[in-house]
Amino acid sequence: MKEELRELWRYRELLFTIVERDLRIRYKNSALGFLWSLIIPIVTTGVLTFVYGYLANNGVSNFSAYVMAAYLPYLFFQQSILDSAQSVLSQVPLIKKIYFPRELLPLGIIIANFIHLLLGWLVFFAFLGFIYIRNPQVNPFQFSTIQLPLLMLISLFLSTGLGLIVSALNTFYEDVKYLTGVAMYLLFFLSPITYTSETVAYSAINQRTNGVLFSLYHLNPIAALSTGYRQALLAPVSITIGNTTHPPIGMKPMYLYIAAAVSVVVLIGGYALFNRMKWRFVERP
Amino acid sequence: MTEATTNRTPTISVRNLRKKFRVSNAAIGGLKTLLLWWKKRSVREFEVLKGLDFDCYPGECVSVIGRNGAGKSTLLAILARVYRQTSGEVKVNGRIAPLLELGAGFHPDLTGMENIIFNGVVLGLSRKQIRERIPQIIEFSELGDSINSPVRSYSSGMLARLGFAVAIHVDADILLVDEVLSVGDYAFEQKCYDRVDRFRKEGGTILMVSHNLQAVERFSDRCVWLKDGQMVMSGLPDEVLAAYLSDQASAQAEETSKPD
Repeated sequence: MKEELRELWRYRELLFTIVERDLRIRYKNSALGFLWSLIIPIVTTGVLTFVYGYLANNGVSNFSAYVMAAYLPYLFFQQSILDSAQSVLSQVPLIKKIYFPRELLPLGIIIANFIHLLLGWLVFFAFLGFIYIRNPQVNPFQFSTIQLPLLMLISLFLSTGLGLIVSALNTFYEDVKYLTGVAMYLLFFLSPITYTSETVAYSAINQRTNGVLFSLYHLNPIAALSTGYRQALLAPVSITIGNTTHPPIGMKPMYLYIAAAVSVVVLIGGYALFNRMKWRFVERP
Repeated sequence: MTEATTNRTPTISVRNLRKKFRVSNAAIGGLKTLLLWWKKRSVREFEVLKGLDFDCYPGECVSVIGRNGAGKSTLLAILARVYRQTSGEVKVNGRIAPLLELGAGFHPDLTGMENIIFNGVVLGLSRKQIRERIPQIIEFSELGDSINSPVRSYSSGMLARLGFAVAIHVDADILLVDEVLSVGDYAFEQKCYDRVDRFRKEGGTILMVSHNLQAVERFSDRCVWLKDGQMVMSGLPDEVLAAYLSDQASAQAEETSKPD
């Protein structure tokens, strides 16, 4: 693996070029071009604010910010992995003609998506600023926001590891693409994105199992990360189920440590798997 | 091999090179293949290269000839590091620019200019270096203002010209050429050959595969004849070509004299 990393470093310039190419192609034939990367999170924030403010108000003020805090990193994760699945397969004609470390293909796509995540956070903080201007009594900005880079690093590791695995496997077994599509779809509902982890904690089934369900639920790194992002970026909220209002509960940092450990293992394992398979990509039947 | 070349270190050195391909009877990947991995499938293995040994030296143009399926293209692909050999040793001294298929790495939606940058970086230049060479590349390719149009609007001749122009301007030490020098019209072809000659005089190594025996005779210093993955003969082009042609002729005679 050491040798492969050295090779990767030698080709870093190509990695930047692949990222640049990916960003260029994405909006090549559209009139608004790169602006779409900003428009999509802006429109999403607008629609969510309308939906959670008027249509499905659950009593939490500015709930749309809570959804965005978890949804933006989820979107990065989902998009990175779905794009990775096709990254090598769609470039088989190219890699049959010329050598470069094959991992640059999924890595370039993941980095391009990471840049979109950064733009998403830009919109997110602008939205928090907007909330603050409308109601200057409450400062929505949290000091714990400094944890954001660390959380993003965990997300990046996890996405890269899974992206490498999915891109390698999908080159030989195209069912993998559909399987990951389904998995991503289900993961969205199984993670606290459109609801909070407090809702899970105070659910009847969790109370009956003495909190075992809550623990199991947060062993899913995406669930732990979603809650992690939310806790870092926003003030804790009390939630109301039925007629009782429950105080906020913090997620134990242990779950984030587990998510971090899982991400590192997935990254190393994924890279090892990719390296074992990468020479056979061009010999694909 | 001349006296002068023996003292120099080879740019390409191949020892006992073997390449096996496995062909399984299962359809292209599918979860079925994965799930039934323990089930024995009839996997056919065939050896394309059966132990090759040869060296190429700076300033030399070596051409590889042989019938279809002799392993010529596989050899070039292994040198270009597209395939990994099954066994044996490949030592390459210097940077390789493979011309396995001109314009293969071009993305249709990007302009010629953007593709030059991408291709140049793939071939091992830094972006700064490639930017410095862009004027020369555009001039050589004779594309003019089309350089700022998307590559999908190019004709095949334009694509080939751009591909060749990029590959020749990346300061490679070794050119791997697979049947691609006959690009564009006659004038451009001559320009390519002149440029290749200059490349060679400057100490570059060329390894080419061609069925165009006239080109082989005209350009190469040495000729390697491959048959069924093995080297039959290596030496001066006219000698090897004569042997190759007579072998072909006798094979053909045998074919025709076979009773139905």
